[in-house]
Amino acid sequence: MIACHGIGKAYGHFQVLHDVNLTIAEGECFALFGPNGSGKTTLLKVLATLERPSTGHFEILGMHGLKNKEAIRANLMFLAHGTHLYDELNARENLAFALALRGHYPTDQDVKRALDRVAIGAFADMKVRHYSAGMKKRLALAKTMLARPNVLLLDEPFTALDTAGAEILREYVRERLSAKGTVLLSTHDYDKTRPIANRAGILRHGALQETAIEELKSDDLV
Amino acid sequence: MTSFSVIRWIVWKDFVTELRSRETISSMVFFALIVILIFSFSFSMDQQAAREVIAGIMWVAFAFTGIIGLGKSFSTELQNDCLEALQMVPEAKGAIYLGKVAANFAFMFVVEILLFPMFVILFNLEVVEEISLLLLVFFLATVGLSAIGTLFSALTVQIRAREVMLPILLLPLVVPVMIAAVEATKGALNGDPPAMYEQWLELLAIYDVVFTVVSFWMFEFVMDS
Amino acid sequence: MTIHRVIRKVQRFEGWFGGSAVLCLIAGLYLGLIGSPPDYYQGEVVRIMYIHVPLAHTALLAYIVLTIGSLWYLWKRDPIVDNMCQAVAGLSAVFTALALGTGMIWGKPTWDTWWTWDARLTSFTVLLLILIGYLMLRTFVDDPEKEARYGAILAIVGFVDLPIIHFSVEWWRTLHQPQSISMRGVSISSGLLVPLLFMSVGMSLLFSYMLMVRTQLLYLDRLLHAKKGRLLSQFHLSKSDS
Repeated sequence: MIACHGIGKAYGHFQVLHDVNLTIAEGECFALFGPNGSGKTTLLKVLATLERPSTGHFEILGMHGLKNKEAIRANLMFLAHGTHLYDELNARENLAFALALRGHYPTDQDVKRALDRVAIGAFADMKVRHYSAGMKKRLALAKTMLARPNVLLLDEPFTALDTAGAEILREYVRERLSAKGTVLLSTHDYDKTRPIANRAGILRHGALQETAIEELKSDDLV
Repeated sequence: MTSFSVIRWIVWKDFVTELRSRETISSMVFFALIVILIFSFSFSMDQQAAREVIAGIMWVAFAFTGIIGLGKSFSTELQNDCLEALQMVPEAKGAIYLGKVAANFAFMFVVEILLFPMFVILFNLEVVEEISLLLLVFFLATVGLSAIGTLFSALTVQIRAREVMLPILLLPLVVPVMIAAVEATKGALNGDPPAMYEQWLELLAIYDVVFTVVSFWMFEFVMDS
Repeated sequence: MTIHRVIRKVQRFEGWFGGSAVLCLIAGLYLGLIGSPPDYYQGEVVRIMYIHVPLAHTALLAYIVLTIGSLWYLWKRDPIVDNMCQAVAGLSAVFTALALGTGMIWGKPTWDTWWTWDARLTSFTVLLLILIGYLMLRTFVDDPEKEARYGAILAIVGFVDLPIIHFSVEWWRTLHQPQSISMRGVSISSGLLVPLLFMSVGMSLLFSYMLMVRTQLLYLDRLLHAKKGRLLSQFHLSKSDS
């Protein structure tokens, strides 16, 4: 469950977010559309507890976003634009490191299954430095899968992913939703997002407007 | 217990990265060699004069190379925005700080040990008897530099002009370390009785404790909005 | 938000602070420059003390205020406290620089040198470097929240460091230069003390007055920026709707 109450974020006189109110229930996937620079990433970063909102507050899974950050972080994964991977480590090591910091110690079996699921099992021992952008995205997805979050924040998840990769991602989101997870994703790609999104909204100049997702098809989404 | 495992994993990650890329230590060593070279051109010294200034030159070289290493410590976390993942670790950030301090200390200490023979050779120093005391000085001063340096490395990595701001903020704050390290090193190199410079060792020890505690506490605020 | 109300309430008396600062400084200057006898050893030169010592006191007072404000900010995250910190840092830098400058001017006739690595001069120099670093740091951060947080961290670390810096320089000095010249040569008689007291109180009041004005200014500036931001995004929104 995600609930935003009047979230605003300003950098000096540059108002990035403007009184954002949004509630996403369990089992719901909200698609956040909007042109470049409309504040999508900033909103996700605020909800991922990476940036403090200038005004307003939010709750995730009923926990206050400014007072109970550690508990939120333990239950949330942010699939960000940067993949949070270390170039010098291979896929296995990256997974082991990232998950150990979150207090998870997946077995070799789990790791193998996750890597196979995102179809990069064959490259498990290759340094991430030699990965393509799409492979990195898949590895980040595998990391997310192993962390078993209740809340998923996805920032432009389809960029760099090919058709098969996008389908793997959608499959995973569906799985989370049926397990009563909450998903918020920002995107430009209507067609790739449509099959999983229950609700949608457009962010324009930092103001969020919820819309029926069918209406967005013809919208100039950039 | 999880905190200990976080410390271990951070150290492991920094060591493995360094072993594979060899970026930090090699750049520190070569930079230090260049500094030594420039110093030896700037002062044409006989052995007597060298003894007077060598401790100062040594610590200027160590501090500058240390800053290179400290800067890299967190700037490598910027690739693929790994810093975000560290910030989102669902635990107090002190463990990350201690892991980073341990790794930074190890890199700086290794570089100092590698460079010391260079000083001995290039400046014709007599072979020292008090090598263990000298190592103690290196140890204490390097703990101090890495304790406060790690905090400011994490702080400056998220701002503009970070390469300039790290030394600008850090060097005034490590004045006590520099003074104490230079004086104690001078004493140890001259073979003075330890009683003559033990006050500097005490000062270094106090500085280490104070700034490990303060930085440990402040690191939380650097990493967490 | 209670501190916010307290600051606003105190701010109402800023005129009183300014006025009494002027009175104290005038009285102190008259007593110091005209009303008091010249020093037995230093002659007329000693009169710069009435400027230098209060400046140095006020610089230290300012840094203490900065540290308390920084701790408060990290605790409560109240933006007006950060406005106060930013204001006090600038003032602290000015007072520190002036204290250093007058110290040098005083040093020339008494020690016959503009500069000596005296413990106090050196730690004031390091203090000035820390404050300049603080002000530079603040200009290099885009997010005002981060700017405030990082500034506070630096101020607190610097505050812990200053006594250690002072002691290390003092030890280092006693090791390398015999104590032939000492700042403690001035014997404080009551004739010197009264004008000094006036000047110190006056300087602190002046500092408080300047701090209030500057905090007010930065606070209003922040409100103005926020307002401008809101209006701009409303303007963009209305344009994209039509």
